[in-house]
Amino acid sequence: MLTQFAIVIFQVIIILALAPLLSGIIKKVKAFLQMRKGPGIFQPYYDIAKLLRKDSVVSENVSWIFHAAPIISFVAVLTAGLIIPVYISNMPFSFAGDLIAVVYLFALARFFIALASLDAGSSFGGMGGSREMFISSLVEPAMMLSIFAIALNVGTTNLSVISGAVSSMGLDAISPYHLLAFVALFIIAIAETGRIPVDNPATHLELTMIHEAMILEYSGKQLAIVELGAMMKQLLVFSLLANIFFPWGIASELSAAGIALSLIVFIIKIVVIGVVIAMVETSTAKWRLFRLPNLLSISLMLSFLALISFIIVKGG
Amino acid sequence: MSELVFGSKMMQLLIALILVSTFMILGSTRLYSCVRAFGIQSFLLAGVAGIVAYSTGKSDIYIVAILTLVIKAAVIPYIFIYIIREIKVKREIALYVNISPSLIIGGVLVVISYYLVRSINIRTELSSFALSASISLVSIGLFIMISRKKAIMQMLGILLMENGLFLGAISLTYGMPLLVELGIFFDVLIGVLIMGILIFRINRTFESIDTDMLKTLIG
Repeated sequence: MLTQFAIVIFQVIIILALAPLLSGIIKKVKAFLQMRKGPGIFQPYYDIAKLLRKDSVVSENVSWIFHAAPIISFVAVLTAGLIIPVYISNMPFSFAGDLIAVVYLFALARFFIALASLDAGSSFGGMGGSREMFISSLVEPAMMLSIFAIALNVGTTNLSVISGAVSSMGLDAISPYHLLAFVALFIIAIAETGRIPVDNPATHLELTMIHEAMILEYSGKQLAIVELGAMMKQLLVFSLLANIFFPWGIASELSAAGIALSLIVFIIKIVVIGVVIAMVETSTAKWRLFRLPNLLSISLMLSFLALISFIIVKGG
Repeated sequence: MSELVFGSKMMQLLIALILVSTFMILGSTRLYSCVRAFGIQSFLLAGVAGIVAYSTGKSDIYIVAILTLVIKAAVIPYIFIYIIREIKVKREIALYVNISPSLIIGGVLVVISYYLVRSINIRTELSSFALSASISLVSIGLFIMISRKKAIMQMLGILLMENGLFLGAISLTYGMPLLVELGIFFDVLIGVLIMGILIFRINRTFESIDTDMLKTLIG
């Protein structure tokens, strides 16, 4: 019982501690690729620490939703973090929810941020909120379908079991549907974390911004919570990619050496994914909003193909 | 035995990637990215041929693989890029069917080809996967030919169909005799050259390579 608590608490600490670092690393790699020096990789920590010390400036017209939304979305993402395997494949809370719960916890977080963006009544906020909802309506089905292909192979939607099973299969797990679903989920990860073909995370005043437009009204502590929530979500989406599709090296039992190794492997994996995302971001231009359905329907089609090829290969 | 298992696994992965590249052609709105996706697909096809050659040990399939690499993955994309550059065509492709519906139709075509293959009752999982991928490539190529307006895309569609047939042939029967294979490569190359010249002529006569324009009378 006590060890179970320890696992959960350690997982929360890891997610909170690594999320800003991942953002920092992606920013640094991007700066390197663009021949800039760029801020240090610990800059997001300083930013959040500074924001937490500042007071919030809040519009007079907002309701309680504006104050509640950052906390609700932060908690929703953190709850998803209790179900997604990060450094150990049998999470104690895995009985509480599966991949569908994760998708909808992300949706809950997104819903409240979008609601808060409408609450302040600024024109930017409304624009950002409507765009975010537009994209999320395309992202959700593709995200579920792509993980379903793997879930079908293992026979459960429980993320911990999927991760453990794929890990124990070793290289046998690599198959057409695995590959197709991975490509599909990678596109989804770009959309879900607001990266460049979909949204530009580096902009604060541009007509095309989505996430930044939604949180434009926030400042001080609330902004820190929203930003940290977004970074956590990014880390969790990456660890979903890493631990569902190539979970090799993840610890399945509780032992100090195993967990240390699995943690190191995990950090290497998410840094590699982060570097690839930074390369994609540097080499592509942001897409027009109305071209995004094309990108996301490619992802939807690929996850659909993954399901089909699972049926073909396994002979349904 | 384990080498054979590894080979069939690699082949399944390559075929999956070939399907991905087909959907890249279907999903992109730029001529250059379509051509690039076709080049990648041919490269992967050469990989499939290479694996077949390695696992069967037939040396003539190596030649086929190298020819695929040289002609389909290098020369033909180069001819495409040359044509696009020379006739200074607008780089966006014109469509009869929009991108998202095209992708959905592509998915439906894959399902249909899977059901076709399932009714044939084939022995191994690899060959049923390869055959259904091959049939879907042929049907998606046909779909590209009828749903895109530019003459270049029609050329790309027919080459996609040819790739599909090649995939089916090489993975099911381990290749046709080398002489037949050489003849096909020669045909494809000459076909591309002739189609290229045809596109130049269409462009000169109609000042566009939009096949919609071909319906109008020129006095």
